Amino acid sequence: MTAAHDTAPVLATSSAPKAMRALAPHPLSALAGLAALVCALPAFAVIFFALAPGADDAAFGGALLRDASLGTLGLALACGLGATCLGAAAAWLVSLCEFPGRRTFEWLLVVPFAAPSYVLAYAYSSLTWAGASPIAVSGFWGGAFVYAIGLYPYVYLSARAAFASQSACALEAARSLGARPFDLFARVGLPMARPAIAAGAALTIMEIVADYGAAQHFGLTTLSTAIFRAWYAHANPHAALQIASVLLLAALAFLVFERSARGRAAFSGGSVRWRPLPRYGLSTVAGAAAFLLCAAMIAFGAALPLFWLLRLAVVHANAGDLVRPLFNSLALAAVGATITLALAGAIAATARHAKRLGRVSLFAAGMGYAAPGAVIAMGALALFGAAREAGLIGGVGAALALTALIWAYAARFAAAGVQPIDAGLARLSKGVDASARILGAGPWRRLMKVDLPIAAPSLAAAALILFVEILKELPATLILRPFDFDTLAVKAYAYASDERLAQSAAPSLLIFLAGLAPIILLSRGIGKLRAGAR
Amino acid sequence: MSAVSLSHVSRAYDGARALDDVSIGAPDGCIVALLGPSGSGKSTVLRLIAGLEPVDAGEIRFGEEFVSTPGRTLPAEQRRVGMVFQDYSLFPHLSAAANVAFGLDALARADRERIALGWLDRVGLRHRAQAFPHELSGGEQQRVALARALAPKPRAVLLDEPFSGLDPVLRGELREMTLAALQEARTTAFFVTHDAEEALLVADRLAILKAGRLLQEAAPRDAYDAPASHDVAAALGPVNVFDSRCEGGGVLTPFGRVACALPEGAPARAVVRAEALSLRPGSTASVLDVRPHGAHDLVRISAQGAVWRALVPPRSAPGENVDVEIQPAGAFSFSL
Repeated sequence: MTAAHDTAPVLATSSAPKAMRALAPHPLSALAGLAALVCALPAFAVIFFALAPGADDAAFGGALLRDASLGTLGLALACGLGATCLGAAAAWLVSLCEFPGRRTFEWLLVVPFAAPSYVLAYAYSSLTWAGASPIAVSGFWGGAFVYAIGLYPYVYLSARAAFASQSACALEAARSLGARPFDLFARVGLPMARPAIAAGAALTIMEIVADYGAAQHFGLTTLSTAIFRAWYAHANPHAALQIASVLLLAALAFLVFERSARGRAAFSGGSVRWRPLPRYGLSTVAGAAAFLLCAAMIAFGAALPLFWLLRLAVVHANAGDLVRPLFNSLALAAVGATITLALAGAIAATARHAKRLGRVSLFAAGMGYAAPGAVIAMGALALFGAAREAGLIGGVGAALALTALIWAYAARFAAAGVQPIDAGLARLSKGVDASARILGAGPWRRLMKVDLPIAAPSLAAAALILFVEILKELPATLILRPFDFDTLAVKAYAYASDERLAQSAAPSLLIFLAGLAPIILLSRGIGKLRAGAR
Repeated sequence: MSAVSLSHVSRAYDGARALDDVSIGAPDGCIVALLGPSGSGKSTVLRLIAGLEPVDAGEIRFGEEFVSTPGRTLPAEQRRVGMVFQDYSLFPHLSAAANVAFGLDALARADRERIALGWLDRVGLRHRAQAFPHELSGGEQQRVALARALAPKPRAVLLDEPFSGLDPVLRGELREMTLAALQEARTTAFFVTHDAEEALLVADRLAILKAGRLLQEAAPRDAYDAPASHDVAAALGPVNVFDSRCEGGGVLTPFGRVACALPEGAPARAVVRAEALSLRPGSTASVLDVRPHGAHDLVRISAQGAVWRALVPPRSAPGENVDVEIQPAGAFSFSL
């Protein structure tokens, strides 16, 4: 050996082996940084270009913006309240009471998630026209009904999780003090679950605010429909961008509200020890009422529209007309889901390894998720437009449009993929990663032989969720798709806009059925699937 | 295998010192026990040796090779150390055999299988080779984790409270087996425990830590017989403490005299092991209560308002009056 050792150990550098290096940043960091850019850039672009001076008619933009804001506000209040009441009541009934069919309702109540609002809107409109609907669904209240019945699962899931994690002790204490079921709900259960319910309500309202298809169909003036009106009917892109930026800020406000409510919900849990909750056996009359409420929510949220669409589709479907859109939808969803999954995976992994970069990219993904599809699409358009003016890209080819569309999907849905992937990564204990390193596995081998196999079930679930979300997406697809490029969602929308609801049933039905897949998967508890279980 | 030495190693998390100027040397093939309460920094020592974290100051050497210096850390995957984690951290998606073979990927497939099965055989789990971790009991998982750590012939093995999750009987058996396997592999080993008895039983060297500082590093016998401080004495078994002054070459406690080498009149603390007290019928102290403690009784005695604990053969009964004798080998005095 060299003499360095004899003189002083301080000369470590001279005797250090070549392989030595400072602990390197995680190799996924670069990808996570890219993901953050992809997610946040369209949203930032909307605000940036909206603030830029534009030669437009301020009076026109101002009036439309005012009407649209009021429309969105009214709709959000009415259906937010409706969805919250339905979701919280149903969650309470299935979590803490006992009545016939409770166990089945517990997962069936999630099924209305399967249909996007516009599909429900088309189904109920055609039901109403056919005189087959028990209630006339049209106009403002029609829209409110469709949103409430289709979106209550956000509140339901959030509230059910909160009720399930509540301290059995607190509830038992209340019962021993003589509280009857309704007292228990109003005085103990509801106050303890309030943050979670508020978080669910915020998510519901974000969806309502972002929706384009149903609002357009019922002829409502909301911020989302106003973007389209400014863009297409008035050919005023600057006004569209300004409306989009207001919509973005509103959505972000709800996102912040949701996050803070979620944070409080996390700390409002009860005792540490988990115990099955004590259930109230409802009386015959109350039990029947609970049964009827849950049954009605499922019937109106899923069963009735599903069977109606099925009937219409069987009678009126033109298969030849659907082959192309179906293929386009599947291809677009597959490519979009793959890319989005990679970005979401990078964000989830980085959030675990590098706290600061992880937080930034998580926030960026949340921003993209909060931003409605129409806003993201406006942002992507504005960015591509600016790039074209700067001479960075040329033409308006289909390839360019598809790139913009995939980008919009990735920005919009990366956050939806992060959560299931994170759940998968949670099963990779720090010890497992350290074990693999100590046994000599480099980053690549750890990823391929340890991380991926363990996280595979969660990745599959995330991929499916993303695939279906992209398949259902309407406004961004409408704005960014290449000329003559139809997807199922676009086809359903186009037929409905032409008042050919019977023809729109078949693509709507396919979207509905696709939406059922992740729900069935989730209800069967893929999260519990253990790697290595045979 | 090789000697492992830490010199003047420090490590802080977010400004809080987890390890402060710690030096420990483990000669080739030596088993070092790191003993200390929770938060004393013993697990940090293992993580630094494994290369899972960088050192902030000081250095770590394997034989002649510097593996950690400030700003330079040989990555864990290039260190060739083995580690058994507290939760075992087996790969949940791999069978027991595949877990053991994970570190042998440089070898041909046939060799890999042969060595992995050989190690499973060594820990008595050949018949469970195809089982997945969730199908194994806690003790079986621990043995697979040990086999996995030893199979690649590491330069050193690190065990982080490897028996803490197991019941006492199983714990004893596994300790014997682990010790035998380590000795057979003649691997330098560091193992973390907060169980003094376990540390004394297993270790060739003892490193006692508290709040990130090394209190004493010595052979177990030396640490027991000549503790460097009150904390070291207390870390290795129940002790009685009495604060007074050094007078006439000793500290006078209510139960007897403890030799003291401090200057006359200096404040001093007498520390007496519970097992260094012997009782016989007399009058100076009274027995408060008696509790069985293995082969001995833990007896609380009181004199002049002070209460001490004695670990003695089961002969006393509550209410008895006794005389107390302090055996000098288990009595120490320290300056205050």
